[in-house]
Amino acid sequence: MKTIRCNEDIILQEGLNEFIIDSIRDLNLSFTCDVDCEVFVRIVACRSLKISSFTEQGRHVSFLFWNESSSHLQVEESHIVMKDGDLSVAYGEVNPASMKRHVQVALRQPGANALVSSASLVKDRKDYVIEVINYAPHTNGNMKNFAVMMEGGNLNIDAVGKIVKGAHGSQSHQTSRALSFEPGQHATIVPELLIDEDDVQASHAMSMGSVDPDHLYYMQTRGLSLSQCISLISTGYLLPIVDTIADETLKGKLREQLEKEMAEL
Amino acid sequence: MKSLVIKNLHVSVEGKEILKGVDLTVNENEVHALMGPNGNGKSTLLAAIMGNPKYTVTQGSIEYDGKDLLAMPVNERSIAGVFLAMQYPQEIPGVTNSDFLRAAMNARSEKPVPLFRFIKAMEKTIKDLQMKEDLAHRFLNEGFSGGEKKRNEIVQMEMLKPSLSMLDEIDSGLDVDALHIVADALNRMREENGMSMIVVSHYERFYQLIKPTYTHVLVDGRIVLEGDASVADRIDAEGYDWIYREYNVQPAAEADSTKKNNGGVLGSCAIRVAAESEGSK
Repeated sequence: MKTIRCNEDIILQEGLNEFIIDSIRDLNLSFTCDVDCEVFVRIVACRSLKISSFTEQGRHVSFLFWNESSSHLQVEESHIVMKDGDLSVAYGEVNPASMKRHVQVALRQPGANALVSSASLVKDRKDYVIEVINYAPHTNGNMKNFAVMMEGGNLNIDAVGKIVKGAHGSQSHQTSRALSFEPGQHATIVPELLIDEDDVQASHAMSMGSVDPDHLYYMQTRGLSLSQCISLISTGYLLPIVDTIADETLKGKLREQLEKEMAEL
Repeated sequence: MKSLVIKNLHVSVEGKEILKGVDLTVNENEVHALMGPNGNGKSTLLAAIMGNPKYTVTQGSIEYDGKDLLAMPVNERSIAGVFLAMQYPQEIPGVTNSDFLRAAMNARSEKPVPLFRFIKAMEKTIKDLQMKEDLAHRFLNEGFSGGEKKRNEIVQMEMLKPSLSMLDEIDSGLDVDALHIVADALNRMREENGMSMIVVSHYERFYQLIKPTYTHVLVDGRIVLEGDASVADRIDAEGYDWIYREYNVQPAAEADSTKKNNGGVLGSCAIRVAAESEGSK
């Protein structure tokens, strides 16, 4: 695992690549993906972060950014996917600090695919602007955002799927869900579909609200306290984010960390 | 000996009184059949014992093993040994059966149940109930057929080993083979742990398999008739009309059916319908 403390251009290796970002300054990182690879980035500290990635033709690349910073994090990201490339970018945001992230994914050539997903345990302010833009025909963009709202949390997601003129046969889909366990939580999710082509498929699904009281009752009838129910349901909501990475050892560690975090809710 | 003692229980739902003074005692290893026409309070009685927040106890007492159940939250009633196998088990996406059951077992044990022992017990129970092998890793009841959901209630019961189990129409949705599998599991648990049961069912076939010690007939929120298993036989053969005649009672559902256009609400099925129609507005 490599620790990053200054600006770098990183050429990724085949298989799992692990990095820790631990810096007191602003950072600018670029990733070149000309092999099939997985990238796990643990963010311990950083003031302002700029990230760019370039997925070469036909490559399959997955990024999981895991925010453990104890102070505010600001991120600007730009990802480009070339012909038949397949990019997955995921964010694990379970730390109790604020965050502002602007992500832009450009599907530049035919056959490019991208999935942007996030799992947030919101105890502070978390702001996302996520844009996935289909520039070429037969490209697929997808967004999946899941959040559990906790006391004092404030979530804002602006999810934009855009299909430009000429990108026929393309798809843009998005799902965003925010769950709360008590009244008074604040979440704003704005799904946007900007479509400038006829022969396309696009959809958005969004839900915000509290847990079904019948679910809680059912679980309580088996002996679980309310806080145990909240832990289990929240874990189920957020845990799938670790599946972005195929490496079983790392996945196991992240699962354990997430479950521990949830047990303390 | 653990006994359930219910005295003069009155229960309301949304301001309407459903149970109008129920007395019932269930001792260890006894099986009590609870019969009665639909909408007359059978599910309400089970829900009130379990502590469903939609049901308000307005009068009376429920004690189990000498403890005041009404003073306990739902999860503590479960830990005290009370189990309700539900008529409509909930589907909980994202929570696997194994995570749920492990948490439930840990909730009633001082030390966490060792993983190996849990897996072995789960495998055995899945086999006993002839469920699909991937049950442990599937989300709780999500996408289950009606019969699978009912059998999964019994899986949970077998894992949690309650001392008093209440079964709310657990046999509906089960085919004949599944009915035998469930009845065998119940009889085994009774034999092994001395588990007592309160069983709501409309079907004599199920009662033949689990052999009730007593039968109670609930009409319009009161137990109007108590007897042995032969009462269930007679109801199966003749229906409820002889009870209405001999005991001079009128069923609430019938009374309600004459004014159902006025929006009368009775029992858990009715609450479900009301909630669904509310949700669709």
